[in-house]
Amino acid sequence: MSFELPAGHALLVVGPSGSGKSTLALAIGGLIPRDIPAAVGGHLALDDREIRSLAPAAVAARIGMVWQDPDSQLVMERVEDDVAFGLENRAWPRPAMSSRIPGLLDEVGLDGLERQRSRRLSGGQQQRLALAGALAPRPGVLVLDEPTANLDPAGALAFMERLASLRAERSTTIVLIEHLVEAAWPMADRVLALDGEGRPIDFGTPQEVERRSAARLRDAGIWLPAAVERRIRDGAMAAPARPSRPEPAAEASPIITATDLRFGFDRREPVIRDLHVRIDAGERVALVGPNGSGKTTLARLLVGLLRPDLGTVRLLGDDPARLAPAELARRAAYIFQDPERQFLAQTVEEEVLLGLRFAQRPAARILMGRMGLPLDRFGRRSPYRLSGGEQRRLSLATALVREPAVLVLDEPTFGQDRFGYEGLLEILDERLAAGATLIAATHDQRFVADATTRSIELDGGWIVSDERSL
Amino acid sequence: MIADRLELDEPRLASPLGRVSPVVKLAIALVWLVGLAFTTRILPPLFLALVAMVAGLWLGRIPGPTLARATAPLWIAAVLIGVSNTVFAAANGDPAAAELLTIGPIRITTEAAVAGVGLACRVIAIASVGAVFSLTTDPTRLVDSLVQQARVSPRFAYGALAAYQAIPRFGQDLATLRQARRVRGLRGGWHPGLLVGVLVLAIRHGDRMALAMDARAFGSGPRTFYRPIGWHWIDLVASVAAVVLLVVALAVPT
Repeated sequence: MSFELPAGHALLVVGPSGSGKSTLALAIGGLIPRDIPAAVGGHLALDDREIRSLAPAAVAARIGMVWQDPDSQLVMERVEDDVAFGLENRAWPRPAMSSRIPGLLDEVGLDGLERQRSRRLSGGQQQRLALAGALAPRPGVLVLDEPTANLDPAGALAFMERLASLRAERSTTIVLIEHLVEAAWPMADRVLALDGEGRPIDFGTPQEVERRSAARLRDAGIWLPAAVERRIRDGAMAAPARPSRPEPAAEASPIITATDLRFGFDRREPVIRDLHVRIDAGERVALVGPNGSGKTTLARLLVGLLRPDLGTVRLLGDDPARLAPAELARRAAYIFQDPERQFLAQTVEEEVLLGLRFAQRPAARILMGRMGLPLDRFGRRSPYRLSGGEQRRLSLATALVREPAVLVLDEPTFGQDRFGYEGLLEILDERLAAGATLIAATHDQRFVADATTRSIELDGGWIVSDERSL
Repeated sequence: MIADRLELDEPRLASPLGRVSPVVKLAIALVWLVGLAFTTRILPPLFLALVAMVAGLWLGRIPGPTLARATAPLWIAAVLIGVSNTVFAAANGDPAAAELLTIGPIRITTEAAVAGVGLACRVIAIASVGAVFSLTTDPTRLVDSLVQQARVSPRFAYGALAAYQAIPRFGQDLATLRQARRVRGLRGGWHPGLLVGVLVLAIRHGDRMALAMDARAFGSGPRTFYRPIGWHWIDLVASVAAVVLLVVALAVPT
């Protein structure tokens, strides 16, 4: 691929899952091939100088990076110390640091939290802190690799607003990889679209790319802003009709009930407070709410992965925390929020076959093919070597292959391109048509609208609304 | 959660003991331990343990229950070590040794009992000094002080700080992997595979952390300090007091 980005411009990089977006970000940041060995060809220049030939300090002096996971990019314990870390490394004099940091924290909306421990911040605040840390030394280029992937809608919006105000100043060149195209597309001066193999589909201003290649982008599995999607849909083909939803059974029978549920980690503030909920067989439930509202904790309680401090949970009549593992696995499947931190095997094939009966194996092969992870290509790879979106599909496959009565999915659409998303909806529809129940904790409003019929909103450990849509 | 135990409140950081340079506190602890190696008597370690606890409560503003919780497991360990060293001591088989008591087939001699109790007392001293040190020392300040005052390599010191901050994360990873096994129908709460999983995740976390630090120009040349740490009179006072107390402890007649 070849492209040139003028100083002060914002580049949006889009592409399907596994197309090499993150690799491009690491190369621009000078970390490939310096920190991560890789075969590299071609030229990548910063201000007309080859990045590979520059000293690490010279690259770091010009480039700031923000990654997806807030937990592994904050170095120091306290907010202001973390912002100072990059300045100390560049040997800024102390008075300069002291005058730079408060204004910067103000700029990213973290004023007043200077002495706070960064671990105590919300996910959205942590990402804004990472942004402040990257911006502190006034880098010429800011590279952001899916900075909002772990954030709730409000946190993501606040982050993108900060970024937009930064772009308005035109002092920093921005390279942004982002699935939230609705906010990112209007911000970009240039768009680089990659296909599944990492080859460029198009490069140009957003208007040029929309005009020339909107349909090709869509067919490569890339998300486009809703307005663009509508335009190409009107021109070409009709929208794929959503499969009709089965009518709820006339006599609904409860599959999960929770009564007077209360839970807190180690004598701290309860995360779940006096919560009642009844979920009937065949329902499609979304658990929504901001980061830290208790969605994940509730999901884990409902399948007995955590034991409540008070109250009871019944999964098909029994306390799920007391079921034998084999029986629990027959009744419920669960995928965890972080796509990487749940794998139990060393290869993709072992991972999906783990704990399956022999008779279920052929079904697992077919399912992996449908999830875009055919075992003949991916089977022998390490789960940790997959892209974030691929890891998510692997964990989904480990849950879907079992055909349990209840599917409990924590952020099922994380990092999914259009193909991954539509494939997931199709398979979920089949399972639900066969009578399964879906409970999904999610920030993805599109998924809530497309896949669920009941939306339970949590805030501060309480249910604040419970609505059914028809 | 583990994180809570690792965090200090502000009164403790502002206390006299909290303001003493972490490097000085570390040196005091080491000098005391070396000093105790020169005696097998019971009183010196107990005296230093008492001094450490009183200093922690009074000069370090450690809340009593916090100190009790932090040292409780070590007290139990000290008792167990003392008892087992008394019961299984070689001196018990020595016919010349003075017999203290016999419990069934077990004969316990005075020499063995003295050695066992002495050992337990030293464990108590180490535990109390260590607890007071960690309960009055902010990890960030410890690292800053190691780098600025003891000239420890920043790469090592800040790497250790990052690893230290990741401890709660490893706990979460272990819990998640155990839950993942259970919900996939696999038996056995403590499968050895869990350890491999936690290790893989720890290494990957470390890799990402190193990448993030490199991207922020860590180790690219000389660095400055946002929180310069200098020597204060309180460091001198603490050092002198510590040496005097050690001498007193070793000089007290039994």
